[in-house]
Amino acid sequence: MATTEKEIVNRGALAHPDLTRLDDVNRDVLKMLTRPGKGWWMLFGAAAAGVGLFVTLWAYQMIRGIGVAGLTSPVGWGVYITTFVFWVGIAHSGTLISAVLFLFRAPWRQSIYRAAEAMTVFAVMTAGLFPLIHVGRVWHAYWLIPYPNSRFLWPNFKSPLVMDVFAITTYFTVSATFFYLGCIPDIAAARDRATGWRKHLYRIISLGWQGTDAQWHHFGNAYVFLAALATPLVLSVHSVVSWDFALGIVPGWHTTIFAPYFVAGAIFSGLAMVITLVVPMRKIFGLEAYLTTKHFDAMAKLMLLTSLIVFYAYLSEFFLAWYSGEEVERTAFWNRVFGNYWWATWTMLTCNGLVPIILWFKRVRHSIPALFIVTIFINIGMWFERYVIVVVSLSHEYEPFAWGVYRPSFVEIGILIGSFCWFGFWFLLFTRLLPPVAIQELKEVMPPPLRKKKSLEGAH
Amino acid sequence: MSRDLAERHDGILRRDFLKVVGVTGAGATIAGCSTGDVERLLPYVVAPEEITPGVATWYTTVCRGCAAECGMWVRTREGRAVKIEGNPTHPVSQGGICSRGHATLQHLYNPDRFHGPMIREGDTFRQGTWDEAERLLAARLRRAASPTNTVDRGDVVVIAGHTGPTMSGLIDQFVAVLGATRVDYDAVTDAPMLEAARIAYGTATAPRYDIGAASLLVSFGYDFVDTGSSPVEHNKGLARMSGVNDESHAKGRFVFLGPRLSLTGQNADEWIPIRPGSEAAIALGIASAIATPEAAGPYANLLQAYSPAAAAEAAGVSEEAIVSLAERFRSEGPSLALGPGVGAHHRNATAANLAVMILNHVAGNVGRTVHYEAQSSAATSRMGDMASAIEAMSAGRIGVAIVHGTNPAYSLPAQTGFREAFERVPFKVSFASAMDETSAMADLILPDQHFLESWGDSMPRPGVLAIQQPVMSPVSTFDSKHSGDVMLAVMRLVAAAPPVAPAPAAPGAPAAAPAPARAAAPAAATFYEYLQSSHRAAYTDRTVDFDTAWRQALRMGYAQFASPAAASPALRAPDRALSFDVPTFDGSGDLTLLVHPSSRFGGGEFANSAWMQELPDPVAKIVWHSWLEINPATAAARGLVNGDIVTLASPHGSVEVPVWLYPGIREDAVALAMGTGHTSMGRYADRHGVNAVDLLPGTPEQPSGAMVTVATTVTLEPTGRAMRHATVDGANGDQHDRPIAPAVQLALLGETAEAAEEEHGELMELQAGGGFIPVPAEDGSPASFPLPGSRYGEYANAHEGPRWAMAIDLDKCTGCSACVTACQAENNVPWTGEDQVRMGRDMMWIRIERYYEHVDATQASDLDIRFLPMLCQHCNNAPCEPVCPVFATYHTPEGVNAQVYNRCVGTRYCANNCPYKVRVFNWYRYTDAIPEPLNWQWNPDVTVRDNGVMEKCSFCMQRIREAENRAALEDQRPVRDGEIVPACEQSCPAEAIVFGNIRDPNARVTQVVASERTYRVLDAIINTQPAVQYLRKVTFHEVAAAEH
Repeated sequence: MATTEKEIVNRGALAHPDLTRLDDVNRDVLKMLTRPGKGWWMLFGAAAAGVGLFVTLWAYQMIRGIGVAGLTSPVGWGVYITTFVFWVGIAHSGTLISAVLFLFRAPWRQSIYRAAEAMTVFAVMTAGLFPLIHVGRVWHAYWLIPYPNSRFLWPNFKSPLVMDVFAITTYFTVSATFFYLGCIPDIAAARDRATGWRKHLYRIISLGWQGTDAQWHHFGNAYVFLAALATPLVLSVHSVVSWDFALGIVPGWHTTIFAPYFVAGAIFSGLAMVITLVVPMRKIFGLEAYLTTKHFDAMAKLMLLTSLIVFYAYLSEFFLAWYSGEEVERTAFWNRVFGNYWWATWTMLTCNGLVPIILWFKRVRHSIPALFIVTIFINIGMWFERYVIVVVSLSHEYEPFAWGVYRPSFVEIGILIGSFCWFGFWFLLFTRLLPPVAIQELKEVMPPPLRKKKSLEGAH
Repeated sequence: MSRDLAERHDGILRRDFLKVVGVTGAGATIAGCSTGDVERLLPYVVAPEEITPGVATWYTTVCRGCAAECGMWVRTREGRAVKIEGNPTHPVSQGGICSRGHATLQHLYNPDRFHGPMIREGDTFRQGTWDEAERLLAARLRRAASPTNTVDRGDVVVIAGHTGPTMSGLIDQFVAVLGATRVDYDAVTDAPMLEAARIAYGTATAPRYDIGAASLLVSFGYDFVDTGSSPVEHNKGLARMSGVNDESHAKGRFVFLGPRLSLTGQNADEWIPIRPGSEAAIALGIASAIATPEAAGPYANLLQAYSPAAAAEAAGVSEEAIVSLAERFRSEGPSLALGPGVGAHHRNATAANLAVMILNHVAGNVGRTVHYEAQSSAATSRMGDMASAIEAMSAGRIGVAIVHGTNPAYSLPAQTGFREAFERVPFKVSFASAMDETSAMADLILPDQHFLESWGDSMPRPGVLAIQQPVMSPVSTFDSKHSGDVMLAVMRLVAAAPPVAPAPAAPGAPAAAPAPARAAAPAAATFYEYLQSSHRAAYTDRTVDFDTAWRQALRMGYAQFASPAAASPALRAPDRALSFDVPTFDGSGDLTLLVHPSSRFGGGEFANSAWMQELPDPVAKIVWHSWLEINPATAAARGLVNGDIVTLASPHGSVEVPVWLYPGIREDAVALAMGTGHTSMGRYADRHGVNAVDLLPGTPEQPSGAMVTVATTVTLEPTGRAMRHATVDGANGDQHDRPIAPAVQLALLGETAEAAEEEHGELMELQAGGGFIPVPAEDGSPASFPLPGSRYGEYANAHEGPRWAMAIDLDKCTGCSACVTACQAENNVPWTGEDQVRMGRDMMWIRIERYYEHVDATQASDLDIRFLPMLCQHCNNAPCEPVCPVFATYHTPEGVNAQVYNRCVGTRYCANNCPYKVRVFNWYRYTDAIPEPLNWQWNPDVTVRDNGVMEKCSFCMQRIREAENRAALEDQRPVRDGEIVPACEQSCPAEAIVFGNIRDPNARVTQVVASERTYRVLDAIINTQPAVQYLRKVTFHEVAAAEH
């Protein structure tokens, strides 16, 4: 069923009923790029301090040895890999919202996709650090990259970790390019108003955008092309990440359900993180007219769907562990719920399975504070999901004599907190340096400023 | 002109080119040195002739770790001892060596050794010269004897620990020259056994057990695998007796009677958990049931007073248990009863030992499985003598006290008052090589040499004489001197006249014939001369000259003489009154305290070895700290859980210790190991654990004079605090019905072939349905290698080379853990410390898993505890290999799962994916914590691993390569079977481990795995196809189906 351009514009306009003038969009969005206030500086200071902590702890770990983390035998992966998967998951909704929804012409993506895309890029930047943080000899980590060398040594392409290197770098390259490409017309808009150093900066990074027909034509083509390129990555990246586990023989890891399960989980957690970030941004910058309950409602519905998929995956894992009749598998899942780490598993089940149930209610979906709280639960729940998969599975494997318990150390907790600060550091810079709402796309869906008011009745 | 042209033609100036090369070269150098420190290496300016760098030199010598005196081969590299191995030709130890034997190497390089003679100045010591120290000692000895001295005049007492016969003879001479008194004292002795042998047969020798010759072995609480009189020899005997013969299906039965299962007890087929102190009643009850009273000669009346029913009553077990055991004595010969050892030294221990000797006598075992021979060099350590010495010291009658080779200030119960008495002595001398509790109180310390640096001899049994030769020049860090040399020098200074040497100790004759009082000093200038002249004088064989025989003895490590014919001695009437009843215990507590020597620390001598501290205790699997063994039922009744710290109080003292729930101890007893809780012994010993003897009474057992270890009741008071055990056991001994350590019933042997087939039935079923399952190997036959579907086969010459494999017979393995320390010594495996192990970060490449299958502390029943040495399984279908991103682990064409440390990035995926969890990670640079000169021990053939890399068992790759290189140099001959012996196999006293080329049909390993008992751990469920194959343990009782 073909959707006409007009219908899309209509639906887009319906998502932002309060926006009428194209000028307002430029004004509202670009005013965010002025000199920041006290609140921003405080947040930015806190984030920078967190980055300092992050760097210090990592340096300490490099000098002393990875032993400063709580990792041990049999739990060789812990908070670091958990957090890696968490951030990769967060990175997913950005591409989903910007690329997949673009291709499907979803009407509600325009005002949030820029923030979501920025979140993707920064989340991948954060996630990509964790494999480096967790290896014993980070100074040799480049050996995972296939580069010509005199020893004729290549990485082991059978290893999911090598696949990971490719998946993450590809995803980062494509999503960063996509993000930048989408920004170019808006940067040009900002350039036209900016003064001082900003003007210089924007002039360079807008790559001489003039808004000519030819440029718009190329831009449109490139954007569709990149969106098409990025779309399969939404599925592939987290599938590959899930193979880090699924290709192992650890009970609790070795299962075919992992790829779809991880992708659904990633979208679930990514959407939750978008809402967590956008709600304060909307409030602070006064973007109520741009981010309406319709947007939140749509995202909440998608979260509800992915929550159901994820919860189904949990249940099917438990069922199959029992149904397999395999003693090792059964013990592993029994231990998940009733063993040393029961609290982590129950946190996961509650936050990801039970709390999102209230999203069935429209009142909840339309209440910004309620949604914000739910997404906090989901963020926590999704972190614990990865913790349960990584840590709890490893702690209770085949060899009972070698069962063990892992307790995160202060270094790991510090680096976990530091990773949020690192992410926040970039995100805060983003809100002040690049238009956080896509001006040009919003304008596309707004009623065109026609002299005769006949095309869009009811829009005004 | 032409040069300019040429340069222009090149397009680059020569000078510029050189600059570029220089910079690049420097850059490459810097990059190449990015890891680790660069150290300057200097070659020998003039190389010693006998040392070829890179080639090991081996010396034979004698282990002085305990009184068993096993034979040793010591591997030296570039003049340093790096590894101890058992001497396979030695008549006592026959190739095995225990963990403690390995750990003696750490005493040699102990960083806490004295750097020279220490002379007290106030509260501290000052390092002096040897001349000064010897003159000081001589002066003080003269002063103590001087009639004009009214201040600190007094007698001289020499407190000596166990030592070799010639050294013992020299001490006797020293004592004679000084007119002193000698007191023999060792923390752990079999004094009641010796005393009982004296009473029963009139010989002061310990009975020699031939365990391998028995088919019914009954231990009355004698922990002969843990400690005992000769752990390696007895361990080997137990494995030979109880290891099943795969052809005849013959297997000896081992019954353990005692309130607590030691490591020895854990190996039993049946456990009768008797009440502490009831050994005599049971031995006599059984004796009365199997023999007429007349057979017991002078003990006929005694036997008439006992019956199985009375024994059962005394022991608190059912009468049937005693009757059926007696029945076995009648029907399952030859039998052997082993007398109570140190772990059962209660107040009637001599009587209990005598009762067991009577049982052996009436069962006809004397001369068959138990031998009484004329002489052993084992010192008859008598704490009774010590009691009189303490009395003399506290009365102020002693002017000079000299301590040699023992540490009474630590190992004697505080109640004896030794410390206070010793403190009163005006001049105290210690010969300890490193600080210990006794030396800390001394006024003069004359650090002895380690046995690997010095001469000596041993006579582990009549007819066997072993020479202890130095294997290296003394560790240069420490200015030590042989005690014998010091004594000779001091004697010369005191007597100032050296007449002729008196009759020295002769092999086969009493070693330490006391010399007449105030004798003259011997003529020998050094102890080496003294030693050699003693043996020369005693040498009677005229077929070869002495020098040839001496060299031969040095080469072989021992010499054998015709031993006096072992007569079948008759029982003698007791010359003193003995009570065979259950003794009374001090205090009114409701739990009896069982104190036992530690199989890692002995009586405490090994506490300053990091290897021993970090070796998981074979019973509890705990490291570094003490624990109190308590039955889970008792703990539950008191609301205690694992790790709760309790105040353990006896009438004599109290300690705070965490409880460890152990099903192998009676509900009315608790147990604590000796050897820990040192206060001034060194960095690895101090402040680790508690000293169990603090709870014991000061009065010794009568008449033997031994310290009593089972003599008091205790009360438990929870402190409200708790700690996590530093343990390596993650499942409290439960194998959760997994195919890890299965067993098979003896009666079913010969019928298990089908069962083995069924094991893979499920996989085969899947395969028949088109499942993606490689074909598993059904047997270990060479034809099945390489296994279809295995990762092996990527090499062109895959089918030609050898294929290394290992077989481990779990029916022989006794869980003694010698292999663990052997591996640690061979492969530079670091220790990590208590907190790291508590986190799970032990570094052992091989571990002994211990699983309880059936343990019942309430009644006599079948016992089933399984041991499984777990090391890298070198899987043919290794889960670790595909997940490594950089090929740091891969399969070699010889079937070894190799680990390339330099290539490892440290992702740890291999360890996560290893179902056996045998990979260990360098979380820190653990080797940084190893102080000089302990690092002298490192094996130069094995890399010392860096921070952040994975490591694991390599099948001792360096030994494989060494043998292959040697074979290649000898006309490219193939490697012979048995030429490559990994460190674990070499040490194993039980001979449970066999390594070899499984593609060779005649190799031992190929023949061993042909057994129907062969299986591979977890292979049935995850198809890893390991190269390490195990042979099931064999039980007498039925094994539950799930355990197959």
